[in-house]
Amino acid sequence: MSFGPVGARALLKREIQRYLRRYTNTFAPPLITNVLYFSVFGVILGGRIDQIQGFDYIVFLLPGLVVLGMISNAFENASFSIFHGRWNEYIHETLTSPLSYSQMVAAYVVASALRGVLVGVLIAAIGVAFTLVNGQIATVTIAQPLYLAAFGLIVPTLFSGFGVIGGLLAEDFDHLTVMNQFILRPLVFFGAVFYSLETLPGVWRDLSLLNPMVYMVDGVRYGFLGYSDVDPRVSLVVLSALTIAVLFVDVQLFKRGYGLTD
Amino acid sequence: MPPAIETEGLVKEYGELRALDELSLRVEEGEFFGLLGPNGAGKTTFINILVGLARESGGEARVFGHDVVDDYQEARDAIGLAPQEFNVDRFFPIVEVLEHKAGYHGVPPEEATRRAEEALKRVGIHHKRDERFDWLSGGMKRRFLLARALVTDPDLLILDEPTAGVDVQLRHDIWEVIQDLNREGTTILLTTHYIEEAERLCDRVAILNEGTKLDVSTPEELMGRGTDTIYVRVREDGEAQTAEPERVAATTTGTGSERVADADGEPVTDADASASVPAGDRLTAIDGVESATVEDGRLAVRARNGGSTAPEVLNALEAEGYEIADLEISRTSLEEIFVEMTNRERSDRE
Repeated sequence: MSFGPVGARALLKREIQRYLRRYTNTFAPPLITNVLYFSVFGVILGGRIDQIQGFDYIVFLLPGLVVLGMISNAFENASFSIFHGRWNEYIHETLTSPLSYSQMVAAYVVASALRGVLVGVLIAAIGVAFTLVNGQIATVTIAQPLYLAAFGLIVPTLFSGFGVIGGLLAEDFDHLTVMNQFILRPLVFFGAVFYSLETLPGVWRDLSLLNPMVYMVDGVRYGFLGYSDVDPRVSLVVLSALTIAVLFVDVQLFKRGYGLTD
Repeated sequence: MPPAIETEGLVKEYGELRALDELSLRVEEGEFFGLLGPNGAGKTTFINILVGLARESGGEARVFGHDVVDDYQEARDAIGLAPQEFNVDRFFPIVEVLEHKAGYHGVPPEEATRRAEEALKRVGIHHKRDERFDWLSGGMKRRFLLARALVTDPDLLILDEPTAGVDVQLRHDIWEVIQDLNREGTTILLTTHYIEEAERLCDRVAILNEGTKLDVSTPEELMGRGTDTIYVRVREDGEAQTAEPERVAATTTGTGSERVADADGEPVTDADASASVPAGDRLTAIDGVESATVEDGRLAVRARNGGSTAPEVLNALEAEGYEIADLEISRTSLEEIFVEMTNRERSDRE
């Protein structure tokens, strides 16, 4: 007996509906936050900052903010959905169904990654709007659309995968906050969102290369601007391998019932 | 067809605690099967292993021949579960929760919607279809859990204390629904604290205690193992009167209010008195009779399976010249047998 994709689609639909029906909760926070980022860093401070690698600061900043938004939302969505389901035990509806463990993981990851992509598009649109309003700034272009699409998919997928792990490990809502605020956000902020690695002194540049966020920001920046500090092909391969590894761990955790079963 | 549920040497340990201890059980397809046991007996653990919410520490469990670990998809697809706890998705209206649940079981969207509507109608809360679970009353929540278990059209319906804390009307409504389902061929596994529920609904019951199976039997067989009491008021010389203790009971206990002979007809306390009481000897000689006493002016004969023993008791009395004025049989309740069995098991362990 085999079970087709109907069940996985049903869970995927449920997961996507959960955040789309609460669109204000889903999209208002990144909207407001990024309007502030672009206003303060892009316009007010950015006007006093020289171009970086030949790009206006607000244009250089945009890919980093897109990554920041994608990562945060993908991670938050997956971790919250799983943890909230565990907390209120309604994840039992899924666990007692004939869905395979990989189908369960796929539904949570794809729904969360989609949320990351939607938020990323929203942030990019905000950035473009800021450049259009300011006639002195060059319009944002997409120099490498295929790379942008590839990084734009792999980055939220990877962090949805991490979110699944977070949702299974967390024993309290505070743990989710800790993961997002004290681990993800610092890594992204020191991941060359606001600056180019070229501006760092040698040792700091080398240390930054240990931060996986650097490759994500750099890859997305390459997609938008055609400029990167690191070879984007290397970044893509490394991130793809990491994503596969994380998804494998997700499925194994589900299979073992980690955080899910007695 | 393989049995609906089959477990062999099922073990579940939580650290030092052994929640299930080598539990082997078999529930046939189409049966209405009850799991009885005090709190902590392992009933919910047993269910959780079947549906995938707990991992067994040892042994095997199969649902319609599908191993719950190796063939978990097939096993879970066959089961509809109404748990004790309210573990329902709070984000969506209840009709959509049902659609989702059906969808997870591979039911296409249109069919899932039809089934969701039907399930809500069946349990009588269709008018609440657009409400969220949190807004339902306690009774409606119980009804909803049943609807969710039904929406996947399961071959095995597992109900973990479905009528706990509900009013009489709802209890009867739930009984009616699950009896209909059972008549339609659905196998039912029911856990309950209400012994009356098991007596009334179940074909067979298993009694669990501290993770072990004490017995599996029909409610009638179990009750047959208990000691019923046959109360008889006799009339002598055409005039209603209390049976003379010395003439009816085999011997006395010495209390004056209760006189007893044991099943061997041997006096318990007063050997001389028994010799002059032929009816006592006759009564205690009947197969199944354990003792005869006088309580509150009535003859009280304790016997296994009182219903079939009573005619013999009456015959014995009439043979001794007594006219029967009144007869009452007090059957042992399943509850008493249940308490007796679990207590006996506990004292055996100690």
